[in-house]
Order: sequence, then structure tokens, then C-alpha cells
Amino acid sequence: MDLHSITKVSFSQVVALARAVDEHGGQADVARIAEDVEMELDGIGPIVAAAEFLGVVTVEDGDLRLTDFGRKLIKASVKERKAMLREFMKDLPVFRYVIQLIETSARPASRQDVIDALAVHFGSHSAEDLFRALVYWGRASELIAYDSRSELLTLRTPGVPMPPAH
Amino acid sequence: MAAPFLEVKHVSKSYFEAGKEFKVLETVGFELAERDFVCIVGPSGCGKSTLLRIIVGLDTPTAGSVRFEGKPLVPENPQVAMVFQSFALFPWLTVEQNVELGLEARHDPPERRHAQARKFIDAVGLAGFENAFPRELSGGMKQRVGIARALAVEPLLLCMDEPFSSLDALTAQSLRDEILQLWSTPDLPPKAVLMVTHSIEEAVYMADRVIVLSNRPGRVVAELEIDLPRPRNRKEPEFFGWVDEIYSLIV
Ligand SMILES: Nc1ncnc2c1ncn2[C@@H]1O[C@H](COP(=O)(O)OP(=O)(O)OP(=O)(O)O)[C@@H](O)[C@H]1O
Ligand SMILES: [Mg+2]
Repeated sequence: MDLHSITKVSFSQVVALARAVDEHGGQADVARIAEDVEMELDGIGPIVAAAEFLGVVTVEDGDLRLTDFGRKLIKASVKERKAMLREFMKDLPVFRYVIQLIETSARPASRQDVIDALAVHFGSHSAEDLFRALVYWGRASELIAYDSRSELLTLRTPGVPMPPAH
Repeated sequence: MAAPFLEVKHVSKSYFEAGKEFKVLETVGFELAERDFVCIVGPSGCGKSTLLRIIVGLDTPTAGSVRFEGKPLVPENPQVAMVFQSFALFPWLTVEQNVELGLEARHDPPERRHAQARKFIDAVGLAGFENAFPRELSGGMKQRVGIARALAVEPLLLCMDEPFSSLDALTAQSLRDEILQLWSTPDLPPKAVLMVTHSIEEAVYMADRVIVLSNRPGRVVAELEIDLPRPRNRKEPEFFGWVDEIYSLIV
């Protein structure tokens, strides 16, 4: 599994899913949780997959079980959650690849540069989706900054605010 | 005795059409103290949004008054800020520009405005998204921008009108928890929160006190202290006890 499994899911949905499992004592049936959060099974499916990918829950025979990481995530503050996410994201191949690309390119990396590079590496059919996911999770983890106006990507030092781009 | 933090006194609101009176609110009264987190619940159309709009000064009552620390609202000094169900973001502005918008009336120097906007973008967990446009954000993130914008003016009172009702259930729950987390951070504004919701469970989950309105014209039928410890577990019988009690007051 890779970043594709989390292209359509937000971090807060994953955190809320973990909370819902925790309210059942840390273990519950997917159908049970779906009912709790008033979602259809096909709606909650991608969120469960993302939570599994991020190591927040394990899934076995339709049973969700909260991991230690998941437990820590629920208790953490919004800022601590970002740091935990960052730890996880920075080692994903696609992030390592794009961070290296930004670091080494002579001019600021543009949206097009990165999409092209993703297409070469991961196939062109999914490069756009992958780029969107990269931007979302890059921003959420504060690893990569993307200015939607200039369409340029830069690396971001977490906790240090970006200078305003005007 | 010092004046209450917020005093809503005998507030009535009617609309008049073709000489006929249409009553929306009838002598609504309650008080908020500092550190109160209060939810208003009531049936659809009972005047909840109207009441909130009157409190923040977007609408005027037909009778009665609203006072902060004994004084009427001063429009040029934002003591109150509002979070809307519809987010009310400007699509052509970035996250940061949307948050700064609320600060423009204050005539601060630009650096101060940037710093203030960034502080609250960070507080709602949107650091990293400063230069994103609303269309790039999920509903939950859009509402975080709405919350950051409201908090950035450092209001004394934060009003929220069904802030989670256009979000999916999981995102809504996440935001409820984050709002409560922000609320427990003592150095952040506001001094009190007043939130309208049609979800009784949401009110019991979040509020120290719940104000129950009747069918239109809205009147206060009950005020209940929710003394459940936090964080609250929606699976516990005590939680459902409160939900059932309020439910029986409304139907
Ligand atoms: N400008 C207006 N002119 C005439 N009637 C209005 C006006 N604004 C609101 N109303 C009416 O006042 C009543 C109360 O509206 P309000 O939006 O305050 O209710 P609400 O409790 O927030 O409802 P909901 O649960 O649907 O959000 C409704 O019947 C509405 O149609
Ligand atoms: Mg309303």
C-alpha cells in the first residue's frame, strides 16, 4: 500500500475513527463503527484503509483494533498529532523522492515539474491524484509547502512559519 | 454585584407581513458567565439562528436587550465573532487571506496582521495550508478556517451556528474534539462560547450548560447543567440519560 490509499481521506477522519474505536474499548467491528458514525460501509472503507496504512488501527476479519500509535494519537494535541504524522510521512518513498527533488533542483520546483517526476516514477495515469495527495499530506505534516497561487513547492521547517508570499 | 458577562434580557423578535405579526422569539432570557460553554438546542425553525444573530449584532430584537458586561454591543470593537454553518469563505482568497480579512477593520500594521493570522491558523491545526485556496480543502478544513478567522479578532464571546452540520459524521466529531481542546487552552480567546445546534447529542457532548428552546415562537423551556466529566463517552448510560431528558423536553 502507498499514498494512493489515502488520497480521498483527511487526517481528521482518521483521528475520529480512532476515537470511535476507542469508545468501544479499543476494538470493534467495522459495521458497528459505521453505524456509530452514521456512514455507509463503502464510505468508511477508505478511512479504515487509511487508518490501517498510517498504523492507527489493525484490521482483521472486519475487526478494528486500535494500535499503541492510535492510542497516542487520540490523546495528543493538534500539534503533537502533526509531529506524529510528520514522522510517519517523511519515510514514505514518494515523500523521500519529492523532498529530494525539491532539494536538488536548481530552480523552485513547480507543480508541473513534480507531476512529471511522479509520472516517471509511479506511472502517468495516477500522477495528478498522487500530486493532490502529496500536497494535502505534505501540508498537513508540514513537510512540504505548496503555494497555490505561484504553484511552487518548497520544503518547510515545521513550526517555523513561512514568510508571507505576496 | 458585577454585571453578567453576557445578559440576554426579554428578547422578542417578530416579523410583520401585510400587517400580520409573525412571532419568532418570545421573551428569551439567559445569562452567560466567563468560562461558560453553552449550547442552545431547539426544534427546527424555532428561532435559534435569529437569536444568535441578535446577540452578535447582525439583527435587532423587536423588544428586549443584549448586554456585555452591562453595556450594549459596540460594533467597531469586536467583542463577538461568529462561525457560520456555511463557512462563509471567499473562494478567491487563500486560507491566510481569509483569516486576515477579519482583522482588516482593526487598522493593524500588515506584519502584525500576518502574525495574528498565522497564530490562529496554527491553533486550528492548519499550519502548512496558509497558501491553499478553499477549493483545495475538505469541509472540515474549511470550517477550521472559519474558526481561525473568528478567533483571530480575539473576541470575548464566540458564537457558532450549527458549525458542524454540513460535515460528515467523522469529520464533525474530530472538530468537536478540537474545539474542546482549543477551549481548554487558557491563553486563547474567547471567554465564553455560545453554540447553536439541532443535535442534542452534540450539545450534551460539548456543553457545560444546555438551553432548550420551545417550538416557534422560541421560549426558554429549560436550562440544564451537564455535569458529566470530560472527555465524555457517548456510549455511557449517563450520557444517554441527558440526551433522553432533553429529548423529552423538546417533543
Ligand atoms: N427575514 C425574515 N423574514 C421573515 N421571516 C423570517 C426571517 N428570518 C427568519 N424568519 C423566520 O423565522 C423563523 C425562525 O428562523 P431561524 O432561522 O432563526 O430558525 P432556526 O431555529 O435557526 O431554524 P433551523 O433549525 O432551521 O436552523 C423561521 O420560521 C423563519 O422562516
Ligand atoms: Mg438556524
